Amino acid sequence: VPLEKPHHHAPRAGQTVLPPAETGLAPAHQVEPFARLSDPALSELGLEEFLDELLLRVRDALNVDTVAILLHDPDNDQLVARAAKGIEEEVEQGVRIPVGQGFAGRIAAERVAIFIADVDHADILNPILREKGIQSLLGIPLIVEGTLIGVLHVGSLVPRVFGQRDLAILEVAAARAAPGIERARLFSALEREHQVAMLLQRSLLPKRLVDVIGVNTAARYLPASDEVGGDWYDVFELARGRLGVAIGDVVGHGVRAAALMGQLRTALHAYAMQDYGPARTLELVDRFVQAMPDYAMATAAYAVLEPDTGEVQIASAGHLPPVVIGRDGGRVVDVTPSAPLGAFSYGRVQEHELVLAPGETLVFYTDGLIERPGTPLTDSIEVLLDVVKDASSVEGLCRRAVERMVPAGGLRDDVAIVAIQNSEIDDELELQLPADPKILAEIRLVLRRWLRHQGANDSQTMEITLAVSEACTNAIEHAYSPAPAQFTLRATAEDGQLTFVVTDVGRWRAPRGQDRGRGLTIIRAAMDEVEVNSSETGTEIVMHRKVGP
Amino acid sequence: VKLADVQFSDHEHVVVARVTGEIDLSNADSIENAVAEATPNHALALILDVSALDYLDSAGIHLVYKLREKLRARGQTLRLVIPADSPANDALRLAGVSRNVDTAETLDAAIAEFSTDAAAAEVPDQGSV
Repeated sequence: VPLEKPHHHAPRAGQTVLPPAETGLAPAHQVEPFARLSDPALSELGLEEFLDELLLRVRDALNVDTVAILLHDPDNDQLVARAAKGIEEEVEQGVRIPVGQGFAGRIAAERVAIFIADVDHADILNPILREKGIQSLLGIPLIVEGTLIGVLHVGSLVPRVFGQRDLAILEVAAARAAPGIERARLFSALEREHQVAMLLQRSLLPKRLVDVIGVNTAARYLPASDEVGGDWYDVFELARGRLGVAIGDVVGHGVRAAALMGQLRTALHAYAMQDYGPARTLELVDRFVQAMPDYAMATAAYAVLEPDTGEVQIASAGHLPPVVIGRDGGRVVDVTPSAPLGAFSYGRVQEHELVLAPGETLVFYTDGLIERPGTPLTDSIEVLLDVVKDASSVEGLCRRAVERMVPAGGLRDDVAIVAIQNSEIDDELELQLPADPKILAEIRLVLRRWLRHQGANDSQTMEITLAVSEACTNAIEHAYSPAPAQFTLRATAEDGQLTFVVTDVGRWRAPRGQDRGRGLTIIRAAMDEVEVNSSETGTEIVMHRKVGP
Repeated sequence: VKLADVQFSDHEHVVVARVTGEIDLSNADSIENAVAEATPNHALALILDVSALDYLDSAGIHLVYKLREKLRARGQTLRLVIPADSPANDALRLAGVSRNVDTAETLDAAIAEFSTDAAAAEVPDQGSV
């Protein structure tokens, strides 16, 4: 008997709304294949396998030609063809049906079963149904705990009247399968998002920290136990041997936060490389955030360390205060934070200064490390200071902070920590160096730092650095050896009397032409006393210079 | 980090190359090549501005001599902008190289030397406006 048409639904051409079927109508032997669909073992399958299994069982139980599942995409309120038998084109072409339109769209919107006896004369949206030669259709909504998750429909290539019995079977199949679909879908979506976010996060953080003369660095990033966030850190070399250190925390979680983090980290890095300094750099990143089409907010801190002097310029946009760890314990750095990035238009960021004595370590971290429900932040920072105060190295400091501060049961928020130490300065230098011109810039950095430590003033530092660099240039130019050549630089100090010895394994070559003799001229002019000792085994340049007031 | 950077700018008859950072044996050749390459044939002169340079040594002085020869072969002039209190000037002083007519104290002075106005200034002053 054909089905009666209820009156409360607006009629549409060729569509018949069916009332829910009596459950008892479904014959036991035809429902049996669906009993196992709610089997937990089956729902452990990935979504693809699960849907495939469901469609095969529906097709066989109802003896139909086509079966299709469209899942609801709540972001744009559309149904997306996700799995099909007999009309695989639906999935391959990624058919999308707006909820409310056509056959499937109406099933989803009104949450009713719909029967179409004659497809050729019915209101349908998807041309594939007609192209495949489908004559009759029956479809029902998939609902889990009151939420629409999709539509399941079957079709026949010969005209067929789907009756109450067919509907009852389909409803049993839907009822059994819908929770499994939802579980599998949520799982795969979360899993995918988590993997993407982790990958993104990992690819955006520095692979290794830069190696800057006079500074030891270490860092850690830990994702939260269930999802990644937008924490980042960055350590980079600036011109003249200075070191930039940044840390930040984008508000939010997941792929979006991780992607935004990548943009902010890059923006900060790029502005920093232009030598804008911490406050202006953060102001520019703030303008960058303000110009973004979507709402975004982040906290960040940026510092520049001058290893020669230990001077640090530092600025904070709403970020937690860094701490300094030294031999006599730790202290919280007094950095009045300015507003977070993206918070106010044309916000001004204040810059602060501090001096990091040789051996002292500056530590930045994100709130995930110290935020605990019910504990004031100031108390948590004290705990952090206590935990890391005896660390013997920056690596050890980061390791301790992570081991001791991360609560049992995992992190609720992601964590970034970065530590930079102004390394101790030795009283004597003894360097084995490769005969490679690239090493010259590093030698000058080591020298400037050491000379300042010995009490040399600016002009003395400049002249001595120039002379020693010339002696090293000479050693590099004259190095001859089939193996990678090396030379040595030694520097000693006694009562302000400095001695530098550069030794190579080549012979001192007579200067070729006027230009080439200039190196030795500079050395003699810059130093108090100079000896050039050549022997069969190599050349040694010994230079003396008094420094101090 | 790059040891140095070069920024070029075009002026009426001259090209200015402003070098910042440090010049030593590791980058002197590539800077010289880049600067020579960036000077078109129609330019009267190249102004090498090292006033903001942090470090220069004999490799950099050698660069200046080689660059001057290269430009001279093309009928072009090299002007250096080296303020008296710059690190570059300290290196020249220690090397015993004296500043001469090829050297300007400021970039503006160097540019003015090659400008059309400078040529016009040679005619008697017609009064001011």
